[in-house]
Amino acid sequence: MALSGMTSQMSMTPKFQHNFMGPDWLHAEHSTGTSIMAVEYDGGVIIGADSRTTTGAYIANRVTDKLTRISDSIYCCRSGSAADTQAIADIVAYHLEFLSLEQGEPPLVETAANIFRQLCYDYRDQLTAGIIVAGWDSRKGGQVYCIPVGGMLVRQPLSIGGSGSTYVYGYVDANYKDNMTREECKKFVTNSLALAMMRDGSSGGVVRLGAIDKTGIERFVFTGKDIPKFYEG
Amino acid sequence: MASVLLAENQEPGFSFENCRRNAFLAKKGNALPKATKTGTTIVGIIFKDGVILGADTRATEDTIVSDKNCSKIHYLAKNMYCCGAGTAADTEVTTQMICSQLELHRLSTNRDIVPVVTACKFLKQMLFRYQGHIGAALVLGGVDNTGPHLYSIHPHGSSDKLPYTTMGSGSLAAMAVFEAGWKPELTEEEGKLLVRNAIAAGIFNDLGSGSNIDICVIRRGSVDYIRPYETANLKGEKQMSYSFKKGTTAVLDVKTVPIIIEDVVVHHTGEAAVESMDTSS
Amino acid sequence: MAMTEGANRYLPDYSSHPVQHHFSPYSDNGGSIVSIAGDDFVVIGSDTRLSSGFSIHTREQSKLFQVSNSTVLGSTGCWCDTLTLTRLVEARMKMYEHSHNKVMSTPAIAQMLSTMMYYKRFFPYYVSNVLAGLDTEGKGCVFSYDPIGHFSRSDYRAGGSAGALLQPLLDNQIGLKNQEGVTAAPIPLKRAVAILKDVFISAAERDIYTGDGIEIKIITKDGVRTESFGLRKD
Repeated sequence: MALSGMTSQMSMTPKFQHNFMGPDWLHAEHSTGTSIMAVEYDGGVIIGADSRTTTGAYIANRVTDKLTRISDSIYCCRSGSAADTQAIADIVAYHLEFLSLEQGEPPLVETAANIFRQLCYDYRDQLTAGIIVAGWDSRKGGQVYCIPVGGMLVRQPLSIGGSGSTYVYGYVDANYKDNMTREECKKFVTNSLALAMMRDGSSGGVVRLGAIDKTGIERFVFTGKDIPKFYEG
Repeated sequence: MASVLLAENQEPGFSFENCRRNAFLAKKGNALPKATKTGTTIVGIIFKDGVILGADTRATEDTIVSDKNCSKIHYLAKNMYCCGAGTAADTEVTTQMICSQLELHRLSTNRDIVPVVTACKFLKQMLFRYQGHIGAALVLGGVDNTGPHLYSIHPHGSSDKLPYTTMGSGSLAAMAVFEAGWKPELTEEEGKLLVRNAIAAGIFNDLGSGSNIDICVIRRGSVDYIRPYETANLKGEKQMSYSFKKGTTAVLDVKTVPIIIEDVVVHHTGEAAVESMDTSS
Repeated sequence: MAMTEGANRYLPDYSSHPVQHHFSPYSDNGGSIVSIAGDDFVVIGSDTRLSSGFSIHTREQSKLFQVSNSTVLGSTGCWCDTLTLTRLVEARMKMYEHSHNKVMSTPAIAQMLSTMMYYKRFFPYYVSNVLAGLDTEGKGCVFSYDPIGHFSRSDYRAGGSAGALLQPLLDNQIGLKNQEGVTAAPIPLKRAVAILKDVFISAAERDIYTGDGIEIKIITKDGVRTESFGLRKD
């Protein structure tokens, strides 16, 4: 009767979803809900990314560097799970370092892209990784390779990725030109990313750029007022 | 050979032998026991001469405080410490394991100190291997030959290199303090105060964090592990005394067993024994 | 989005079952209550922390409702249910006063509260109630409730988030349970208040939903007196 009635009733009542470890996003996997981009230009490539890493609604890192070094002149833009893409990038960087030591010359971008593809395809069931590989080598110059979730590999003169990319497909299609100059290309990437970051809630922060050509990489960061402004209605 | 009395040598790594049974029991409605979680505030900053780590000292099991003064800043190497949030056992064992790996690595590479990035790689590779099942959220800080370094490492194995970072259930409260107060080239005193304020924000505003503030200052060549740095919460003073009169506990049964002295042996210890020790060889 | 296994693994699986998201009408805002009755008084105290999940809404929310000159209702749990219930109790007491031309006695309020809670048998108020007051003879009395209206009268009672921590302490110190060679004597007011403060100090050490402070109401034939006392704030 008395107390037993109480206990059974207590468990029957629909309770508020107790989550004693705080809200869900504290435990959710980190993901780079992202805007990333890479474009070939005359003599090299421009890579770019926003800098936001989110766990649910919380910005876990607002100055993330999603342009990750694979070799001196090959970089990748990461989107998807932060843990997965960091792990893959580390493994590819290791393989490529080893390969270039064996071959005695800098690795090819195509080789890097293929190692990425192999890992992303073999472990496609366990990975959430959308990667753009870009770089410069003496064989084919500036190159951009796109490896979306699932592990496909395709070379493109221009590639955009991450959740923010959906907002700027129209812009990049309208504004892309073959054989842009480095400065034109930089402006194009910066504008595209600024537009994507503005519309996509899980992209934001600063615009990070990298210009890769035969001399290696030059890095740029655009913060605050330096980020181009467009219609904000 | 295995016998009933003597257990076989344990295989290295985790034992998964109860997984199937536990899954079966769980399906029958027997919930698995809950692990102690350190609903925590842990933080780290880089200051002028190194790194400062901070942590609260509360461990919880659901809504009950299971440890009022636990230590969340773990030793990794003489130039590196690591704050742990999440599942208490995971943070404890993970840091211990990486600690021993780092020492072995230091010896095999013949170095005085191991770079902080090495510890970060060890930790993230281990956590990635276990795909988030090891619930350890870490703030790794240290000083090596290239200067001070601070990393935050998440349970799934991603890492961020940052000048200031927070983790655990109180991370938002603590981050609010950092976003308002952190600047490059802080002095040690400014840094300690900022870390104190960040942890205090977690302690008072997050129910998963509480009790005291621990701080660890790592400089090039020296470490100050201050525990507690501040007792943020004093226990309330009791109004009455609760000592019981002798005889309050009921005696249910009495049985006397006499002690029989079979032999007396006297061991001489102390100075006399030391002096007579043979040290000629 | 759900993905189907097999050949179309990467296509969205629109044929899979819809997922129903439930709205949960209850929240647990924590808080604890202790009440101790004496021969000619009753004390009731509640902590003043109102929280949910891992965050504190306020550090100074009393959970005691003085419903008459000789009765105080303590209520914790889902705070919105507490507010609704206590408002209805007060309204019903006014109606009683107007139709009978007298204030409800504590046992009468106790019975009415039970009726009101059982009325919501299948969508209960998610609250833990402790009603303290003087009965018609002027003796202190404490009534405690389960969420659907079962209640019983006792001399001391703890409820709320730290109820399970507080009650054994009261059993030992006031009920004199598990003690040999002690004689039961009526508890003096001073001792009751001291024990009440001490048990809250202990509960604040171990229950994350109890802390910040306590509000104590002391009910005697002269009326209701209020005291407050600080607890740890972490």
